[in-house]
Amino acid sequence: MKKLLTNGWLICLAVLYIGCNKDPLNNLNADESRIYITDRDSTVNFSSFKTYSISDSVAIIDNGKSTRQLNDVDLAYINAVKKYMNQAGYRLVLKNDNPDLGVNVNHIISTSTGVISYGNYWGDYGGYYDPYYWGYPGYGYYIPYAYSVYSVKEGAISVDMLDLKSASKSDNKKIDVIWTGLIRGSGIFNTSVADKQVESLFDQSSYLKKN
Amino acid sequence: MKNNIIASCFIIVSILFAQSSTAQKNPLTLELNYNYSMPVSGFKSDLVSNNSPRGFKGSLMYPFSNKLAAGVEIGFQDYYQKYPRDIYHTGPNQDISAVISNSIQTTPLMLKAKYYPLTNSFVKPYISAGAGGNLINFKQYFGEFGNTRTNIGFVGQAGVGIMIPFKKMSTSGFYLGGTYDYAPYKKDGYKDLSSVNLQAGISFEIR
Repeated sequence: MKKLLTNGWLICLAVLYIGCNKDPLNNLNADESRIYITDRDSTVNFSSFKTYSISDSVAIIDNGKSTRQLNDVDLAYINAVKKYMNQAGYRLVLKNDNPDLGVNVNHIISTSTGVISYGNYWGDYGGYYDPYYWGYPGYGYYIPYAYSVYSVKEGAISVDMLDLKSASKSDNKKIDVIWTGLIRGSGIFNTSVADKQVESLFDQSSYLKKN
Repeated sequence: MKNNIIASCFIIVSILFAQSSTAQKNPLTLELNYNYSMPVSGFKSDLVSNNSPRGFKGSLMYPFSNKLAAGVEIGFQDYYQKYPRDIYHTGPNQDISAVISNSIQTTPLMLKAKYYPLTNSFVKPYISAGAGGNLINFKQYFGEFGNTRTNIGFVGQAGVGIMIPFKKMSTSGFYLGGTYDYAPYKKDGYKDLSSVNLQAGISFEIR
């Protein structure tokens, strides 16, 4: 009888041990699952820029290769970036009108290793966006600040801001990337949530403001 | 989950081994307790402030005399806390907006002694002390993106409680007590995983 009792308790213990874990991912809704990461060049005075232009399509970056597309979701993100750039006081102009800032929107699908390094991402950036697009043939891109590495298991949206005003005066033919925003998490590739996602990037970047 | 299964196997093997040791003069006592844990100090302020109702402790105690018993205790506790969305400055140029979730599982394995000063009393008060290793599984999530870290640390314990025997002079009975578990955890600027615990359970002799 005692042996039966003991073995019963053993089974209870094992069940308790396995069942006592509270899974954090089961306690997150879609909004809570998302993260917003912004990096900036802290030497740049963002209020010194007045105008910007934005790429007319989204670069789909899939394991280091890119294509361009413009579907409803892409357009929703581009329009949201325009909205919050305008609210920050920057004026949208055509890319042929010598904008101070260039803005690119990217859809990063995945990497073969499951880990995305911004270093690798930026290593191919000239392939995603030929500097010729922004009127600077023969130029390269330069990131003056360090990025971290994050694991990526699904897609992400990134928004990059380029300093075209300084590029026109650059001796070393570099276009400086002065701000990036990254959106990751569940359900971000949806027109209904695009505005909120971009708003979050701008909310945590209060320095993005024209005087 | 893998750690859970390994530790479950450890419990089962330990107790089966004890069951086979029937030739002893004094019987081993198996104690099983439900454990309610309350994080304190750095654990509460830096990682998890929520109390945890998800835990248990089990011990095998050998009664050296009516007043003193010693043995091995293993436990398990699951701690969890989700913090509201906030912006974290993770570098001089970088900000991350995220809902952070901390999920911590501790599995202490200790050598433990209990002293019963009043052997003739129907309700037997006791004090206890223990020390050993603590298997720590720490998962921290930014949104749905997490990192897991597993470490082994020290744990020391002091406790008080009462035991109500099923019958006079029996080592089987009901237990009600509390412990303070000191568990340093010097990782990433964190200090400790110390806690105050309340336990209730039963003990019975194994032959």
